[in-house]
Amino acid sequence: MRTALILLLMLALASVAGSLVPQWPNSPERVVRFQLDHPLVGAFYGRAGLFDVFGSWWFVLITTLLFVSLVACLFPRTRALVRALRQRPVQAREIDSFRLYEERVVPADPARVIDGSRRVLRRRMFRVARDDDGRPALAAEKGALREVGSLLFHWAFLLIVVGVIYGKGTGFTGRAVVVEGKTWIDAQANYDGQLRTGRFFNGDFTGAGIHLRGFEDTYRRSGQPMDFVSHVDLLDAQGNVVKQTDIRVNDPASIDGIEFFQYGFGWAPVVEVRRGGEVISSEPITFVQDTAPEGVPQLAMPWHGILKLPFLDPEAGLTLELWPDSRAWLQLRTTGESVAMTGEFQPIMFFKVFRGDLTDTSPLSLDTSVMRQAGRGVVGAGQTVDLRTGEALAEGASSKGLTISFPELRQYSVLQVSRDRGVPMVLLAAILVLLGLLPALYTSRRKVWVRAEPNENGTVLKVGGFALQRKPQFDEEFSKLVDAMARAAGEVPAVEEKERVSSR
Amino acid sequence: MTDLQWGRVSNDAFNVALFSYVAAMVGYFAYLAFRRTSFWAIARTVASVGLFANVVCVVTRGFAAHRVPWGNMYEYSVLLALLVVAGYLLIVEGYYKIHTLGGFALMFSVFTMAIAVSFLYVGPGPLVPALNSYWIKIHVVAAISGSSLFALGGGVLTILFLVQDRRERRQVATLRAQEPPPIMGGSVDVDAPPDFAPDADEPTAGDVVRRGVLPTAATLDRMAYRVIAFAFPVWTFAVIAGAIWAQRAWGRYWGWDPKETWSFVTWVIYAGYLHARSTSGWKGRPAAVIALVGFVSLLITYYAVNLWIVGLHSYKGF
Repeated sequence: MRTALILLLMLALASVAGSLVPQWPNSPERVVRFQLDHPLVGAFYGRAGLFDVFGSWWFVLITTLLFVSLVACLFPRTRALVRALRQRPVQAREIDSFRLYEERVVPADPARVIDGSRRVLRRRMFRVARDDDGRPALAAEKGALREVGSLLFHWAFLLIVVGVIYGKGTGFTGRAVVVEGKTWIDAQANYDGQLRTGRFFNGDFTGAGIHLRGFEDTYRRSGQPMDFVSHVDLLDAQGNVVKQTDIRVNDPASIDGIEFFQYGFGWAPVVEVRRGGEVISSEPITFVQDTAPEGVPQLAMPWHGILKLPFLDPEAGLTLELWPDSRAWLQLRTTGESVAMTGEFQPIMFFKVFRGDLTDTSPLSLDTSVMRQAGRGVVGAGQTVDLRTGEALAEGASSKGLTISFPELRQYSVLQVSRDRGVPMVLLAAILVLLGLLPALYTSRRKVWVRAEPNENGTVLKVGGFALQRKPQFDEEFSKLVDAMARAAGEVPAVEEKERVSSR
Repeated sequence: MTDLQWGRVSNDAFNVALFSYVAAMVGYFAYLAFRRTSFWAIARTVASVGLFANVVCVVTRGFAAHRVPWGNMYEYSVLLALLVVAGYLLIVEGYYKIHTLGGFALMFSVFTMAIAVSFLYVGPGPLVPALNSYWIKIHVVAAISGSSLFALGGGVLTILFLVQDRRERRQVATLRAQEPPPIMGGSVDVDAPPDFAPDADEPTAGDVVRRGVLPTAATLDRMAYRVIAFAFPVWTFAVIAGAIWAQRAWGRYWGWDPKETWSFVTWVIYAGYLHARSTSGWKGRPAAVIALVGFVSLLITYYAVNLWIVGLHSYKGF
């Protein structure tokens, strides 16, 4: 037990380290910042695995050792418990030397006294054994539930570990980015680069899908968020709509064993590029935000997106900056005040055009080092603007050159997608932990021995016993037990007398 | 009544509760110093008034915000203070019939409420979506009950045990040094007058205070154990309920978020305490020190993780 306790303590200490040092799986950006701010310490931490404490080899080692020592401890205890439960309670040689001992003289013969005492004990759920040699004696005990509970509590932790390994090992977690009106399918390629699969994951993506009918984010006047909700259709692998539902924070949806959780959201303006009036590119682009500096609401920050046109010659790339609420942009320009944009109001989008070679394949960044700027401008919702000159086109007019237009502003929803088949097992284990804990803490083991010896007035009832836990409570229980045994042997008047005295 | 009025009632009740607790704390300490039963009677009455005001404060806050009144750290602190005082009055005064520890329990509540109103106050308002779940009722109630019991058992009672234990050891040492040697072979029974010590018939003024004020170390130890053994399953349940909620909200039941990590650390420390209590050689002082470390860990779990360590539970105002 000592080894297991020391290992448990080491596990706690390691966890503390994991809560103080930024962790890669929880917040990679903070790890990067830490490494930039403290290069030397950062390198040491990285080598020691402190940026991923809970996945480091030494954390796994401590956990493994802990459970090995736990099992080594539990096996003999379980065997001993089973043996003790099979065995009859053992008779004592001397009973008057126990912590509690009482004698009563009762008017009945020893055999009847023993029978009565046996009934009393059995009614109170004691396990009772008569003397093997036929002497008028009993041995009784109660409270094996304490050890049963304790063992259940400890074994359940092993079940938790099994559930965790099974669930995390065969499962995965990733993020799906779905634009309003689009459908997302559960397949390797559709995860946004954030897919984390378990060690035993065999790539069996379900092919189930999710169609985002719409996304809503609502806020109170104070700017406090009120609700984030994705209205979705859940599709099976054949593409049939199985269910229409809403996904909210705290209210996930699931299909084919995978679950979808509301994680984030953003703007996805539809951007159209035309050449000579003919559409050459038209799609919603997912925009992202920079982290807001201290004191500025996150929703006051503009949104950034990239559009690449590799089929043009020379190749073209656009950097886009969206202000979903143009009043916020105006406010910032005129008074320098940052205002949160909690909805859409006459959105505007600034753009810069670069021509040259697209060396960067990422959809989220544009390397302009081998490109030159070939135009800039701003386009409002519903407008069409010439890409080179930045001049707005009159409605219905067409241009020979490249134009950009902004027909529609949509939103996208980021859903966390995960599969964990171990959850029911872990939940069951957690319930067993609690169920085991209660008797392990609150019941006590008690032993009682009874003898009946004849004397000139009848029979001397001798009772001895002790409790291993909760001794003060047992003192009371013991005297009640003796009273009950005496009453069962016919000692009624004496008890009444005693009660009368005490009530006076 | 309008929400604004409910909110104002809640804030007034907060002030009544805080000042009553301060007054009752002074009263309990006066009782410790002068041993006048009337002081205790007054202190207990004032504490009960404070407790009532505290209940009013929490309930009206719920009316003002149209939700459960434990949605942010301010509300959580107020409820924690309430439960510690209620736990003290019910368990220590009601069950154990010990009247001398009120000042210490109230001190915890006064500090908690003072910190709440100075640094954590936010007006009543709706919950952020992340907290808007029925699990807030289950998880937070369990967490706050467990915390208040740990504060009482692992904090207040354990500190008093350590103080009293030290005092008793010193007494034994002084008695051993005196002639004649103790006839009880070194075992201390502080309830019994030390009739084997010289001048036992004429207790000095300091002697009365020194002997009678606190319950014996053995009693304090037993009380602390009982309260912690009660708190431990409650805390275990709170952690499990939190994991279930995390599964629903974030898609994983355990992610080593700082709050999860620290609640686990607190759990481990108290598990260690319970084991230590049943291991010979660890009873008494070593076990109490573990309980005290657990109390510090509990405070970190509550304050430090919410306010300074970045994670999913960093609600600050919320």
